[in-house]
Amino acid sequence: MTTAREGTPLLEAVGITKHFRARSSRFGRSGIVHAAEDISLSLYPGSVTAVVGESGSGKSTLSRLLARTHKPTAGSLRLRGEPVDLHRPADRAYRRTVQLVLQDPFASLNPVHDVNYILSRPLQIHGLGGRDLRESVLDLLRRVSLEPAEQFIDKYPHELSGGQRQRVSIARCLAVQPQVLLADEPVSMLDVSIRLGILNLLADLRDREQLAILYVTHDIASARYLADTIMVMYAGRVVEVGPADRVVNHPAHPYTQLLLSAAPDPESPDRDSWRGSAGSPPSLVSPPSGCRFHPRCPFAMAICSTDSPPQFPVDDGHVAACWLHDAAAGAANGHPSTATGGGDTA
Amino acid sequence: MTAPATRRPLLRIRNLSVDYGFGDDAVHAVDGVDLDIGRGEVVGLAGESGSGKSTLAYAVTRLLREPGIIVGGEATYFEWPEGTDGGDESSGAQPVPVEVDLLSSDRSVIHRVRWSQIAVVFQSALHSLNPVLRVGTLIDDVLRAHEPSMGPRQRRERAAELLDLVGISADRLRSYPHELSGGMRQRVMIALALALRPRLLVMDEPTTALDVVIQREILTELMDLRARLGFSVLFITHDLSLLIEIADTIAVMYAGRLVEKAPARALFHAPRHPYTYGLTHSFPSLHGPHRTMTGIDGSPPDLRRVPPGCPFHPRCAWALDICATDRPPDLEIGGIPANRRVQCWLHEGEHHAPAELAAAADPAGAATAADGRRAGQVAGATARSGGAS
Repeated sequence: MTTAREGTPLLEAVGITKHFRARSSRFGRSGIVHAAEDISLSLYPGSVTAVVGESGSGKSTLSRLLARTHKPTAGSLRLRGEPVDLHRPADRAYRRTVQLVLQDPFASLNPVHDVNYILSRPLQIHGLGGRDLRESVLDLLRRVSLEPAEQFIDKYPHELSGGQRQRVSIARCLAVQPQVLLADEPVSMLDVSIRLGILNLLADLRDREQLAILYVTHDIASARYLADTIMVMYAGRVVEVGPADRVVNHPAHPYTQLLLSAAPDPESPDRDSWRGSAGSPPSLVSPPSGCRFHPRCPFAMAICSTDSPPQFPVDDGHVAACWLHDAAAGAANGHPSTATGGGDTA
Repeated sequence: MTAPATRRPLLRIRNLSVDYGFGDDAVHAVDGVDLDIGRGEVVGLAGESGSGKSTLAYAVTRLLREPGIIVGGEATYFEWPEGTDGGDESSGAQPVPVEVDLLSSDRSVIHRVRWSQIAVVFQSALHSLNPVLRVGTLIDDVLRAHEPSMGPRQRRERAAELLDLVGISADRLRSYPHELSGGMRQRVMIALALALRPRLLVMDEPTTALDVVIQREILTELMDLRARLGFSVLFITHDLSLLIEIADTIAVMYAGRLVEKAPARALFHAPRHPYTYGLTHSFPSLHGPHRTMTGIDGSPPDLRRVPPGCPFHPRCAWALDICATDRPPDLEIGGIPANRRVQCWLHEGEHHAPAELAAAADPAGAATAADGRRAGQVAGATARSGGAS
């Protein structure tokens, strides 16, 4: 799997930020939830970018911003290099290019309509039905491996299993021939035995149809399995970006290291490496100053609590927003174990 | 985790069957399950949604709600006298347990056993904690109901002690459940469950709703507590990879049947049932080369229309003709003493199990034999120790 980095990205976000105003006074004085701060990313055709983070890290907010169901507070979007006018609601052309797959296929399919209706609506709305609408719908079902398609077309959502439902909701996205697929936790509601089927379907769509896919997940092992690039988020900020294998095998940010050491791993011989995490993710209403991870970080330095770290290069295409990787400050003298990415020796 | 060769029994389930509904429309949620839990043992119960794993736990604790009906089988709880916790002292006078029939006993007997002997931790802590009561009141209620000899002051001290046990400071006694984070709520649930020093903790997906970091913290704490207090755990989850780390024994359920039971490591490295094999190949790994994995074809069965014979046969790559017609036997396998059970025709008499289902049970041997996984493991270990140095 090579990361294609040539050409213009299909969808690009530059410094995109989202603040929600919290109505209740419970949230404290400022009443602003800093859900996503200054996030930049590029989605290229034929590649999967995984966004990994815990709940509250802003990963779903990011997918909504890219789908333009939320209006960003700051920052800009570019579609095929063209700036997107964020002051106007998303138009049909944007929706045709960028589609969102939701987490819960039990909630995202209208139970009173059959599969035929669910899949023919986007075709009709976008005028893509062609001469034979039913044949187009059957074709969509085949593309998501719901075969024999004739058996599925007249079913209602309640007659389908979770995995089949998720395939229908992916087919609904594919109906408009999108180029970008934003998949927000597409497998976390499904039984384990069928998750890989959906992940393989996404990989297949990337390879066959050259889709640019954003895969939002909390499961870093599945991100490694599917994605070319992994982006790790913590408390609304991007903390590390790099090629999937690189990030998993040589995590550069202390938070990524924490996440990896907490992941269930039956092949790991022992659990002595678990250091504990000393705390939980911060409130997004009043996030910590400087690096948002510093109150929990075992390597925190003075600068971490005052200045927000920019993204420092760690390796080719691999960056970490962590002061430990600041070459100018001579990271190696402070905390070599982290600065070397947790084991370049292997 | 070193397990004594034979543990003293704590819970014995035989041929348990639970239906939802009556007559022809009945759904057989649990179908003829045998399961043993020894003293101090951690038994993992794995299965997908609808496999009957929670129903089993609710039936045994008599928490099953209508239309659930226990239609057959027995469940016996062994109430050992106080102070015979060691489990491995073989000499001297043998303590004799009191056998409690959990399924047919009177409500008053169940009330005595439940919570004080068998405690349950449910999945959704937010929904299981009364939102209008403070944490301290919740604990106080339990103690007042079950330990009438304790005075208010003793109860308050015990409540603080319990919170301390699960790593929460005592000033949280005055908090309401909504003021606590998800992880803390789950800790309060565990503290509540441990309030009466139960010998068996039934945990139904206790960490499924939590983030991985918090999940890891709670599991580490739980295992510490278990080592200190010596209770047994029945840990129910869909996440097999988690069980391999914490459980001594794993039982796998599919469509209401217990299809395989084995020591945790052996189950992972050398699964015998095709479904278990599929499950162990459904988790992408963090180590080693990229391999395309397939999961398991098809979907879990609709319990209203469970396939005849072996319920897994429509999804099984090695299915025989007999699998579609006859219910597979419950076979004891795995050397002497036979420590594994599997319900599969492939391991019966004249049939030959495929190589995938006959891997060496010894973890080291299995790992070297299988696709260079060992190499990935060593590399991962090196990387990690490098990170911690």
